Amino acid sequence: MARWRLLACLAFACFFLTGCGDDEPVKKIDLSKREEITVIKPPAAVTYAYLPQYSHTVSYQRHHLLVEYLSQATGLTIRQVFPDTFDEHMNMVGRGEIDISFSNPFVYVQIAGRYGARAFARIVEGEGEINFRGQVICRADNPQIKTAKDLKGKRLIAVDAYSAGGYLYPWAWLLEQGLRKKDFQEIAFAPGPGGKQEKVVMAVYSGKYDLGLIRERTLGILADKIDLKQIRVLAHSRWYPGWVYAVRRGLDPAVLAKIKDALLALDMKKPDQRRILEKAGFTGILPAADADYEAVRRLAEAVESRG
Amino acid sequence: MQIFAKLSFRSKINLGVIAVILIFGIVLAFLVSRVVATAMSGEIKKRGMNLSMNLAGRATNSILALDFLRLKNMADEVVESSDDIAYAFIQDVRGQVLSHTFKSGFPSELQDANPIPPGASSHIQLLDAKDELIYDFALPVKVGENRLGTVRVGLSRAKAEAAVRGLLLTIFGVSAGVALVAVAMGTLFASTVTRRLNVLRQSAEEMIKGNLFLHISPRLQRNCWEIRDCKNEQCPAYGDTRRRCWNLPGTLCPECREGSYEDKLSACKDCLVHQINVGDEIQSLAESFEVMAMTLDAHIQELEEAKKNLIRQQQLLKTILDVNPDLVSLQDENLVYQAVNPAFSQFCGLTEQEILGKTEVPLFPPEEAGEHQLENLQLLKTGGYQSKEVLVGKDGEKRWLHMVKVPVYDEDRITGILMAARDITEIKQYQEKLIQSLKMEQLGKLAGGVAHEINTPLCVILGYAQMLLEDLPQDTESYEFLQLIEKQAQICRRIVGDLLSFSRHIESRMEEMDLNRSITEVLDLVRHSFKQDWIDIAPSLAPDLPAIIGDKERLQQVWLNLLNNAVDSIGQDGGIWISTRLDPQSRRVQVTVADNGAGIAPENLKKIFDPFFTTKAPGGGTGLGLSVSFGIIQDHLGTITALSPAPSEFLEETGRDKTPPRPGSVFVVELPVSREKSAADTFTELSPETPPVVDQTMV
Repeated sequence: MARWRLLACLAFACFFLTGCGDDEPVKKIDLSKREEITVIKPPAAVTYAYLPQYSHTVSYQRHHLLVEYLSQATGLTIRQVFPDTFDEHMNMVGRGEIDISFSNPFVYVQIAGRYGARAFARIVEGEGEINFRGQVICRADNPQIKTAKDLKGKRLIAVDAYSAGGYLYPWAWLLEQGLRKKDFQEIAFAPGPGGKQEKVVMAVYSGKYDLGLIRERTLGILADKIDLKQIRVLAHSRWYPGWVYAVRRGLDPAVLAKIKDALLALDMKKPDQRRILEKAGFTGILPAADADYEAVRRLAEAVESRG
Repeated sequence: MQIFAKLSFRSKINLGVIAVILIFGIVLAFLVSRVVATAMSGEIKKRGMNLSMNLAGRATNSILALDFLRLKNMADEVVESSDDIAYAFIQDVRGQVLSHTFKSGFPSELQDANPIPPGASSHIQLLDAKDELIYDFALPVKVGENRLGTVRVGLSRAKAEAAVRGLLLTIFGVSAGVALVAVAMGTLFASTVTRRLNVLRQSAEEMIKGNLFLHISPRLQRNCWEIRDCKNEQCPAYGDTRRRCWNLPGTLCPECREGSYEDKLSACKDCLVHQINVGDEIQSLAESFEVMAMTLDAHIQELEEAKKNLIRQQQLLKTILDVNPDLVSLQDENLVYQAVNPAFSQFCGLTEQEILGKTEVPLFPPEEAGEHQLENLQLLKTGGYQSKEVLVGKDGEKRWLHMVKVPVYDEDRITGILMAARDITEIKQYQEKLIQSLKMEQLGKLAGGVAHEINTPLCVILGYAQMLLEDLPQDTESYEFLQLIEKQAQICRRIVGDLLSFSRHIESRMEEMDLNRSITEVLDLVRHSFKQDWIDIAPSLAPDLPAIIGDKERLQQVWLNLLNNAVDSIGQDGGIWISTRLDPQSRRVQVTVADNGAGIAPENLKKIFDPFFTTKAPGGGTGLGLSVSFGIIQDHLGTITALSPAPSEFLEETGRDKTPPRPGSVFVVELPVSREKSAADTFTELSPETPPVVDQTMV
């Protein structure tokens, strides 16, 4: 009797133990059947690029609704492309890989000068602002920096050599203060790709650099990531024209016309279009011409010549 | 189970320990492996998800930028980061593979092997790729709500399984190691126990063989008298190296307590000697065992002594009962025989076994048995005592028994009846003979008185008849008549003489005489007349007989009577053997007169010495011859005995005897040399095969 009881216990234990096995469904698969993958080239389309001042993700998030809108409004196939750097953006415009370029005025003057791109629209931000400016920032608790004179010998970081708000405009202010490149211990640019404005703020915030040059409104983007009280805005640059839509040289004028019409048709009052505009970060689009950017062109030349 | 029961104690302990540890190890291994497998699987999934999320996060920009090189680098980095990552690849939103880590071509089945279900944020699918199991992680690459593509990462379960296997091996290894250590320790422990148990077992076997002088307990390093520095040689524990003092009664330490073993032991527990010398349970058992053996030995010796005593007493009792000629029996309350002695068995003509367990009914004739039972039941009822004389046995073998029955009491209850019966047949015979003797004595006195009174007138008659004969002429009728009167008167006178002799009214003249000569004179007288009937007389007289004190004439009358009787018994053609001899021990002379005549019938043998008993024809004899002879011998303080048929040693060939052999008879007369009573004046047996003998010594 005891023997049977013992056997029953063992059997139960075995059942119990075996019952612990995993019961995940298994799919049989044969990894030996191989095929070569060839990436299907995207169909021919009008390419739209946003100067990578932020990461591709942010670029995508900001503009993919707009791109979709343009496709629908124009009946064209429009595809957003993502150059990694400002240089690449400019080069792609030059190579014809970007049909519609949305860039800062500084880059525009470059591509206009180098590759014959032409501005056809400009954005309106906020309460109808068509211009924007840059800022010089430092850490709020930096005791050494009180006036412009204190900036000498400091380490400086800017967004990009082709950044308007994050380099050209505030640098113009530095020039006005009598400072030159040699007066700084170090001048650096934020590493790419994308997110460069934020990286400047972060570099100053972390104390790696004493001074930072950024576009106005950048601090607002970082409001939920850092304590903005730690950042002091030393100065604002003058107001200069805002971002610009340019078309590459050689794009079909009919295509351009469709796109331009569609862009100009965007109205904040229409709820679906308002959403597109808000996502893109502007409130309206106005027609523009190359002449609108003459001031910037001159500023660029001045900065290049005075260093 | 029987095999397990036959295993040695050590094997059982080892098997038990191994079984416990192995079961523990197996259960632990299974449980731990399950837990670890689950944990590992969870970790794999977590890691896979992390890797996938990481890749998805990093791949966003590259997907947007369609930077295949960076996508490839990212995927390769993921795969290179760990051995167990089987693959990684990135799909665009249409499922098109943008980049993968496979060296030669992409497995076509893999592309759609793990679709993300609608609404799910990710999916994990276990894939069986023949030689290994792979967790496939599928995670969408998203920007906001927009899905850009999917990253897929394959993580092999092999590493996790290897880890589980390693853990199992470790557990089994540790279990085996622990089992080995446990077996070693178990063996050590068990051998310690079994060695001592074996000593106990051997001791028990020795006990069974009868050897009670055991020595199981180990010798002490310090004995009690050494610990206490004791010099008291009177103490039973002093010098006893075998036994522990707490096991001994009557120890003399001041703390020692007398009384029961428990009392003593409870006192000893606080004693220093006990605390130093007490061992573990097995040693205590061994010590108790040894004490038990010694006590047992003492008890056995006492028992053997008692047994010897008992056997001796039993033998004595048995001897008493066996040798006792009385019949002894013991019956229980149901009257079943419980014990009988050989005399009883012999009397019943059965063996003891045939009697025991039975009642009287099957053993005795129905009437006798019924009578016995009635009596016995009465005894059981009343508790009385019975003594009686009974005549038992068949015709011809009837015996007189004096039977005594007493009840046997056990406390107040009667539990049986003890019967003792003595054969009093001989006493009865003696009583009868005594009565007969008294009768004869009275008869003799009467006859003597009568004879004495008749003798005088008879003498007158005879005297006058003889005187008249002298006066009368011989040829007359009167003379003849007178002659007849005288002759008959002579006969009367002889009868009267015999009667007087029988009643001892004749004075004896006791003087020294020669026995042989008295016999020879008689023989000379009768030899001639015997020869006429062809009867030979063969005397064999001992030459060295001493002279005896006796009445010669009366003894010669005895010899004459015996010879006449012999001649009457023979008739014609026969022999008479007469011999004398001296028994120097008893100082008695023996005279035997044997003949080879017709002998004496057994029923007559008792009566031949009675007066007036005769077997002769009427007128042939008075029947007084032998009774007179008896009286004469008795006067001489002797005995006379008759035997018939005659034993052969008394008869010798006569040469003339042509007749067929006849029983014959022998008369043996013993006479004391002097008239003083000798020590051997009792009956002496003549021969072991003596036929019915009549001993008249007592008469």
